[in-house]
Amino acid sequence: MRVLAALGLLVAALFAASLLVGPAAMGLGPSLRALVTGEGEAVVLVMREIRLPRALLGVMVGAALGLAGAAMQGFLRNPLAEPGLIGVSPAASLGAVLALQTGVAAVWAPALPLAALAGAAGAVALLFVLAGPRGGALTLILAGIALSALAGALVALVLNLSPNPFAAMEIVFWMMGSLADRSMLHVSLAAPFMLVGVVLLARTGRGLDALTLGEDAASALGVSLERLRLQVVIGVAALVGAATAVAGAVGFVGLVVPHLLRPLVGARPSALLPAAALGGAAVVLAADIATRLIAPDRDLKLGVLTAIVGAPFFFRLIWSMRRGME
Amino acid sequence: MTLLHLDGLTVRRGACPVVEGVSLSVAAGEFVGLIGPNGAGKTTLLRAALGLLAHGGRSSLSALPVAARARAAAFLPQAREVAWPVSVETLVALGRVPHGSGLSAADRMAVDRALRRMGLEAFRARDALGLSGGELARVLIARVLAQEAPLVLADEPVAGLDPASQIRTMQVFADLAREGRGVVASVHDLGLAARHCTRLVLMAKGRVVADGTPGAVLTAGNLATVFGIRAWLAEVEGGPVVVPLEVME
Repeated sequence: MRVLAALGLLVAALFAASLLVGPAAMGLGPSLRALVTGEGEAVVLVMREIRLPRALLGVMVGAALGLAGAAMQGFLRNPLAEPGLIGVSPAASLGAVLALQTGVAAVWAPALPLAALAGAAGAVALLFVLAGPRGGALTLILAGIALSALAGALVALVLNLSPNPFAAMEIVFWMMGSLADRSMLHVSLAAPFMLVGVVLLARTGRGLDALTLGEDAASALGVSLERLRLQVVIGVAALVGAATAVAGAVGFVGLVVPHLLRPLVGARPSALLPAAALGGAAVVLAADIATRLIAPDRDLKLGVLTAIVGAPFFFRLIWSMRRGME
Repeated sequence: MTLLHLDGLTVRRGACPVVEGVSLSVAAGEFVGLIGPNGAGKTTLLRAALGLLAHGGRSSLSALPVAARARAAAFLPQAREVAWPVSVETLVALGRVPHGSGLSAADRMAVDRALRRMGLEAFRARDALGLSGGELARVLIARVLAQEAPLVLADEPVAGLDPASQIRTMQVFADLAREGRGVVASVHDLGLAARHCTRLVLMAKGRVVADGTPGAVLTAGNLATVFGIRAWLAEVEGGPVVVPLEVME
């Protein structure tokens, strides 16, 4: 409980910081007053239309990735599992890329996140066709790898055939993942899917705990593995699909955050779920603030930053794991 | 009271039957030792009886809905899998999963009883992944005990334990049976099975070839035809003793 309270405070502080950091130089008092009261033309615009959606999306995307990562690791009983493993994020990217390529996204803004969500939904359907209704963890991973490869290849094909370098560049930049220039529309598009994902995954705690003992023992403890798999896959897909749809690919959060918080919650998968959600929100908020502070005028991409910080961190994890084994 | 009833239980892998036409009942108060050479179908029988494997024939347990089954029988798989470095207490408390979410006072008492029974109170806060193989085996048995189901199915519960732990574990199971519960455990150590079980079921090639008291099942003839061994059989301190001596050519 103390861990959750501390993480909650951290998220609240970073959320406030995210609201107050930006290129438009505005005082602390006027900013908050404008946000709450809606008085003061420009300040209200910046706060309500630019910074509030950005901070909200930071919390939502981070929490989605952290929660999905914790559920995925618990379900596959593997600390190296990550939410992208089932191929949903590459498929969502493919949907978004197609929207950019065809120009639909330029005509009608919601087309991009909607296409990404459609891509994610298609991936889940294909996943169940490939892995079957009651296949084990291994078939699920293999089906996910096959799907990721296919989606990756199709994205490359779109880039390959792109009519001009600017279109290609737009696609590449989108894929790097960012929370910049998002609106409340993105918030309201992602929110219902994420809510579904949270509700589904929140009910998996007991089953994931029982899975600590292996599939046979969990099943004998009264856990329906088929139902659990359905809940985890659809929950993760809803969260990751929605996160990718509004923010692009933000890597390493779903992998590293659950890993980092596991020792703090006694390694219990059910306890890790809420902790990883809060931890993910904190990391994405912090990374998004950092992109604004490090290079205010260069539009540093969020996904680039999380990967740059996340990968060495991952090296360290592997290093300490190796030392623990030797 | 019958805790488990199997009727013509059959499991096929492809066309080849791994367990064929097994019918047996286990009553409260029985500690049944499931014996037989490697590949006789002991593990498959236990898993199919629970409904973890698709099977032909009938099993009273696999016919139950999963939640009811978990309250009727506890299962100790052969593989000692623990995925996360949880504390011993947390691991044992997983036995309470079938009894609803959240640990009630009754759940805590069941966990305490199980830890005490396996002599693990001092290990309570230890990291389960930091334990030795034998210690972990005892913790996993405590998890099964914490489930407090009327029937315990255990797949090779004493494999890899030191002699004292083996005897203590067999005594715990025998005590459960005396308290009116039922235990079915596959055991490779014929000496332990003979001394502690109230009944032995001998399997060979997927079939039950002998079923009865240890004295009636562990005959020189059965040991020769099923295991291909010669053993020294005797009665000591009111119980049968089996010491395998040599492989028969």
